Amino acid sequence: MTPGEYRLRVCYGKTGRLRYLSHLEVVHALERVVRRAGLPFAITQGFSPHMKMAFGPALPVGTAGEREYLDVWLTRYTEAAEVLAAMKRVSPDELAPHEARYVADGERSLTAALTIGTYRVEVDGKEIEETQARTALLELLEGGELVTERKGKIKVFDLTRCVPKDLRVTGRDGGVDIELAVRMGPEGSLRPELLVRRALPPAALQAAAVRTTRTDTLIEEAEGVWSRPM
Amino acid sequence: MTPSDLWPRLEPLLSRIERPARYIDREWGARHVTDAEYRAVLMYPDTYEIGQANQALGILYELLNATPGVAAERAYLPAPDLIELMRAEGLPLFSLESLMPVSDFDLVGITVPYELTWTNVLELLDLAGLPLRASERDDSHPLVIGGGPCVYNPEPFAPFFDALLIGEGEDAIGEMVAVHRRSRETGASRDELFMELARLPGVYVPSLYEPRHDEEGRFIGVVSKAGAPVPVTKRVVADLDAHRAPVCPVVPFVDVVHDRFAIEVLRGCTRGCRFCQAGMVYRPVRERSADAVVRDALAGLACTGYDEVSLTSLSTADHSELEEVLRRLSRRLAGTGVSVSLPSLRVDAFSVDMARLISGAGRKSGLTFAPEAGTQRLRDVINKNVTEDDLIATVTRAFEAGWRRVKLYFMIGLPTETDADVAGIGELVSRVLDAAKAATPPPQRGSVRIGVSISTFVPKAGTPFQWEAQIGLDEVLRRQRLVRESMPRKGVELHWHDAEVSFLEGVMARGGREVSDAIEAAWRAGAVFDAWTERFSLARWTSAFAQVGIDPEDIANRERPLDEPLPWGHISSGVSTSYLIRERERAYQSRTTPDCSFGGCTGCDVCTRLGVEIVTGGVRA
Ligand code: SF4
Repeated sequence: MTPGEYRLRVCYGKTGRLRYLSHLEVVHALERVVRRAGLPFAITQGFSPHMKMAFGPALPVGTAGEREYLDVWLTRYTEAAEVLAAMKRVSPDELAPHEARYVADGERSLTAALTIGTYRVEVDGKEIEETQARTALLELLEGGELVTERKGKIKVFDLTRCVPKDLRVTGRDGGVDIELAVRMGPEGSLRPELLVRRALPPAALQAAAVRTTRTDTLIEEAEGVWSRPM
Repeated sequence: MTPSDLWPRLEPLLSRIERPARYIDREWGARHVTDAEYRAVLMYPDTYEIGQANQALGILYELLNATPGVAAERAYLPAPDLIELMRAEGLPLFSLESLMPVSDFDLVGITVPYELTWTNVLELLDLAGLPLRASERDDSHPLVIGGGPCVYNPEPFAPFFDALLIGEGEDAIGEMVAVHRRSRETGASRDELFMELARLPGVYVPSLYEPRHDEEGRFIGVVSKAGAPVPVTKRVVADLDAHRAPVCPVVPFVDVVHDRFAIEVLRGCTRGCRFCQAGMVYRPVRERSADAVVRDALAGLACTGYDEVSLTSLSTADHSELEEVLRRLSRRLAGTGVSVSLPSLRVDAFSVDMARLISGAGRKSGLTFAPEAGTQRLRDVINKNVTEDDLIATVTRAFEAGWRRVKLYFMIGLPTETDADVAGIGELVSRVLDAAKAATPPPQRGSVRIGVSISTFVPKAGTPFQWEAQIGLDEVLRRQRLVRESMPRKGVELHWHDAEVSFLEGVMARGGREVSDAIEAAWRAGAVFDAWTERFSLARWTSAFAQVGIDPEDIANRERPLDEPLPWGHISSGVSTSYLIRERERAYQSRTTPDCSFGGCTGCDVCTRLGVEIVTGGVRA
């Protein structure tokens, strides 16, 4: 707890073309938003002082987010609505904040608290049919395990733990939308897109575009009880 | 014309490439002018990371977008991974803002920042689907213009451009656009347009100048057609303060080179180093006033949100009001975490004091100085007015102030250089190292580091050394060995500029128009991104020269008699040839020439010829 500092939580979106930003690029862009907005931000002590700011779990390049979070520490109490308006004025539309509220300084960090992500995966493709997609996904989940390999590192995901709720598949003109929740952790999180790519027949996916959006980032209070951090 | 948006074709490629954020636009400060009847695209012949911070393009982007009826957009050379996909999918080069094919624009402006980007220029034109040479283009194509530091010998790349601007673009760009718009309205022919453009001061239309050769194929000069002026003399802005520095430039998402707010605090440098092209061709010195620098630095930081502001120029420590500027900025920026940086330092105590003013707690980044030569004799030859005492005193001051590393730049192959001068580099470095250690408390002496960076001297057009021979490759390697033998081993980190790259630079720097054939041949053989060492292949260039019948060594490694016509003889920076010859003679006599912004005019003729003068806010000292 640092006296004289106010911890402001901001919910923002990473949408449209800006889904192609990396986490580091998002962090830099939002630091610059805070500076442009002229907020009285706190600076960390130490050898290379920088803005005191913390982010929720990272989104990969290409994945959009509708409710992403950051905490920024201010040295002067300023009405949250005022801060929000100031930030909005200097944000790119597709990386704009839409809610701000002060939280207790002692609260858990965003990365520690936010362990649930809900996702929408939109798959475009004429070959892809709703019931078939649903069956394929459920079959994969029933298998209980998903093995991935990235840069020679093998990872095994326990699907009952990683996918804690039933997923939903909705058909639409020219494709399907899949909604699911994923439990995130420090040891790496399952990418919903990967799950979908594994489940659907490769031939159908070949010509398809896949767009992933994290629709919400949540705290798990108790098994299955989820809430927003603000 | 209906702008066609290529996003639906680009997006599917983005998940297959590195750092897609380079191609998505939407940065803070990007301009989207929709109701324009005239559209220009400004291109940089390298990747977004390398080109994004280019200040000249930033200035033109701002100026053009502020012109009624005109929109300016940006395009960069995509990285190799995207180029490959674009070629496979038939996706043409696009602008960032509206994702419109580059070939649909009215004007294509390309800056040419250094010699080794010529093949990238061809890659840009080809990806855009444009014929490479002006002679192959017609009214259905955009007007392709160029500019930048390399235009003082434009010949090797001249055939690829419809027009080149020699000099500063603030006033000229608007005039060129106005001429082009008018010619579109009146339905004038391409020839008429070129004639009109050639009448603008500083505009070089290569197709109106024809190189001539004698029976033996030796270059004897250019003949201008239809009354096009000879020489083409550079454009220059009389007063920097008349053009406010862009304070809301594009703020990139991706990490780019020079990712900070930059403000140009002065233009030109009259120290008169005889090897330095920039110092000769950007004369005279014009300072931005202290008030304007402080005002625009603060405005720029507020508008961009950057946490660093850089005061840029060829020699920022020469600004007569630098100390005042730094004091005012430090006061205003205290407690904001914003740092101020100076890109170049002189070898003097004042520079160290200025660096102390802004460095705050962190002195880890090190300071950089350029003595350029190892002996006093050779420093006098090149007019680098730095003595060994200056250097030792400066380094001592820096290490006493807490710095633990400095970086020193040297060149080998300077005119009149002897083995003693080459060995002098290592001897000088070892005295610098001793001085650095002596100024450092004993327990910390182990961390003292001297970085030494050695490049090969490349004679450049428009300088007193434009007639000199560049030393050949074998000789470079021999002198590099001499340097290595003379250099202390411990505490020194030695870096070399690639000798083969310097050789090619030398050919490009002083070649004639025929070199364009070699550039095209090399590009057709796969040369692109030549400035990236891992992609550079001298063998590819050697066979390109052979293919078109050019002897590159005759261009780079031969001393030219003073009466030999030079390929760039019809281009003038305003500095008179007689001044260059005089400076060359003084060089041979090891006689220095003072800086005219300190001690009075030394007669280079720029001011009288261009009707400008030195502009300083205070007295330079
Ligand atoms: S004309 Fe004289 S004052 Fe002007 S830049 Fe040249 S030497 Fe300096």
